[in-house]
Amino acid sequence: MKRILAVDGLSVRAGDNALLRDVSFALAPGEALTLVGQSGAGKSLLAQAIMGNLPDALQAAGTVEVAGVASAAADHHTRRPLWGRQLGLLPQEPWLALDPTMRILAQVEETYRHVRRDGTAANARQRAREALAGLGLQDKAGHYPHQISGGMAQRVAFAAVYAGGAPILIADEPTKGLDRRMRDEVVTLLREALLEGCALLTVTHDLEVAEALGGRLAVIEQGRIVESGATATVMQAPQHPYTQALLAAQPRNWPADATPASGQPLLTAQGLAKAFGRQRLFAGIDLCVHAGERLALTGPSGCGKTTLGNILLGVLKPDTGRVVSHAARPFAFQKLYQDPVAAFPARQTLRQTFADLCRLHRLDPGAAAPLLAELGLDAALLDRLPGEVSGGELQRIAIARILLLKPQLVFADEPTSRLDAITQKQTMAVLLRALERSGAALVLVTHDDALAERVAGRRLAIDMAN
Amino acid sequence: MKLTTLHRIGWLLLAAIAVFAAFGPALTGTDPFAQDLRAFLQAPGLAHPLGTDHLGRSMLARLADAAQLSLGLAALSVLSAAIPGTVLGILAAWYGGALEKVLLFISDSVLALPGLLLVLLLATLAPGEFWPLYLGLSLAFWVEYFRVVRASARTLFASPGVEASLLLGFGLGYIVRRHVWPELAPVVRTLASFGLAAAVLAMAALGFVGVGVKPPRPELGVMMTELLPYYQEAPWLIAAPVGLLATTLLALILIQHEEKNA
Repeated sequence: MKRILAVDGLSVRAGDNALLRDVSFALAPGEALTLVGQSGAGKSLLAQAIMGNLPDALQAAGTVEVAGVASAAADHHTRRPLWGRQLGLLPQEPWLALDPTMRILAQVEETYRHVRRDGTAANARQRAREALAGLGLQDKAGHYPHQISGGMAQRVAFAAVYAGGAPILIADEPTKGLDRRMRDEVVTLLREALLEGCALLTVTHDLEVAEALGGRLAVIEQGRIVESGATATVMQAPQHPYTQALLAAQPRNWPADATPASGQPLLTAQGLAKAFGRQRLFAGIDLCVHAGERLALTGPSGCGKTTLGNILLGVLKPDTGRVVSHAARPFAFQKLYQDPVAAFPARQTLRQTFADLCRLHRLDPGAAAPLLAELGLDAALLDRLPGEVSGGELQRIAIARILLLKPQLVFADEPTSRLDAITQKQTMAVLLRALERSGAALVLVTHDDALAERVAGRRLAIDMAN
Repeated sequence: MKLTTLHRIGWLLLAAIAVFAAFGPALTGTDPFAQDLRAFLQAPGLAHPLGTDHLGRSMLARLADAAQLSLGLAALSVLSAAIPGTVLGILAAWYGGALEKVLLFISDSVLALPGLLLVLLLATLAPGEFWPLYLGLSLAFWVEYFRVVRASARTLFASPGVEASLLLGFGLGYIVRRHVWPELAPVVRTLASFGLAAAVLAMAALGFVGVGVKPPRPELGVMMTELLPYYQEAPWLIAAPVGLLATTLLALILIQHEEKNA
């Protein structure tokens, strides 16, 4: 088959630091290639290098060939005229990629009017309307991006990119931040594009997306392709140790954990209901959390999982119903956050934060050190600001912080959803071990059913009330 | 905190202005009111380093005296506007409810009244005194701090970091000190810098309409209005008070330069 995109010997360096090393592959029309790897492995740089918009601080070597025209990877000009017409880029975080001040229809119409040069300008509006209708968005044409969900925004971005008629589609983490249902929607779209003859290059850290897209899979570790082949083959019989680790880190492949025995009721809730303005989140929820047990709250984004957890913690008040706590002491209910950086005072070192906590509760100032060691953390990390520590390490530091207070219940709000698979597995294992030792109960909010199944003994699925 | 070159220049300028304002009047040794009509509108020279004004008074002595009065009064009114404004803003954001409603009502009422009108009203209580000026300016300016601080603090109080600290048992004092103030300080300092200039100009405007500081007492604003007619014959005269005010502002902006980028 004729190749339409070929990358040969692509390397990207930042000074002496090699970010991508000697990456080569070719793609034919209708073919899918998925690149997977940990965050920071250089996956997104590859997409930028192909487009030809790498930041100026980086040096690139190698060649990129698009539709038979080869140019140097470092060349910023040759491939620019191809944007939209030959090379379509489906962006990360579509909410940010769409123009917040423009209605959706106009954003898709724009592509037909200005990018395509095949006489569609005249009926651009009509074409855009049809494209949106084809994606089930006909009712949303007059909406602004903030009025639609993340999955819909990704569909709009897709319509706008696809309207350009580019035969090569590059999708950079297209499912980042989307829950399962929205993720499946995006995958379906990409598969349809494939069927229509698009060459598809997808960058993702979600192996399930790779599996659903089929085609070929390339695994990137530290800027290098360590394994590649047909997706199904690689997933079934991974050869490289890194691929094996990546597969083992998928929650569905985790070894089933023995669920700890639960004890006395710790917290009982009856008839909880909550609404924000006119939007009803949930109603009539009865719930009891026992000492030492693990409960998962699951459901799609925006269904009120976090809100329910906050009500259980006493941070929010329910509209109706009541929560009774049987905690033995104050501050026994603690919370872990999705974004640990936001959970610490931003402008002081972590050491100061720990010192403040020890002083407040008259704890031994040395109490943190053994805890950190147990969680596999270097105490020197505490001398940094929260923003200077990696997500996985900071989440473990957050775990250490709440363990200082010997909590009886930990409410973990998507604590690992921003971490890549290997770090997620590590962080979750650390958390579960720590909770088991201290006998604390866990209420875990997650949209990942496999994770909920592996971790929790009991699950509560929340459906949208309306 | 790391000091950049710009930062150092800012502090140096500010220190120089503070020394000039504090000790200038004593050091120049010249009476700022002494007129010498034979030596009017003189160019800068040995006897009068900044020249003399239209009544032959030493500009250096007058500028030092004005710096002390204007900058002192402005700094005082900025402080007495910023502190209550910030504290009330934080309290309104924290407690919400009736307290916030009452404070918002008061601040909106003050906002509805032009600032200068408020000062004029107060000035009628004690004509020629300084305290109504000072009180009026503070009353007019606190609203700005209150509104900005309340809006930002409300967002900060709703952040996960504050929620986590509350769950860990920390109180309002800690949250303000560790979460809110570090984020608000640069904003409040910027407001205060420009507030200082606004206060000097407001006093100048009051002097111009005849309620503020009265001639012959030198004051930066009064000097500007007095010397404006002579800008063609003696441009250095009007340049002196304008330059002093601009330099003060520049210094205040420079010392914040680094924190904004951090």
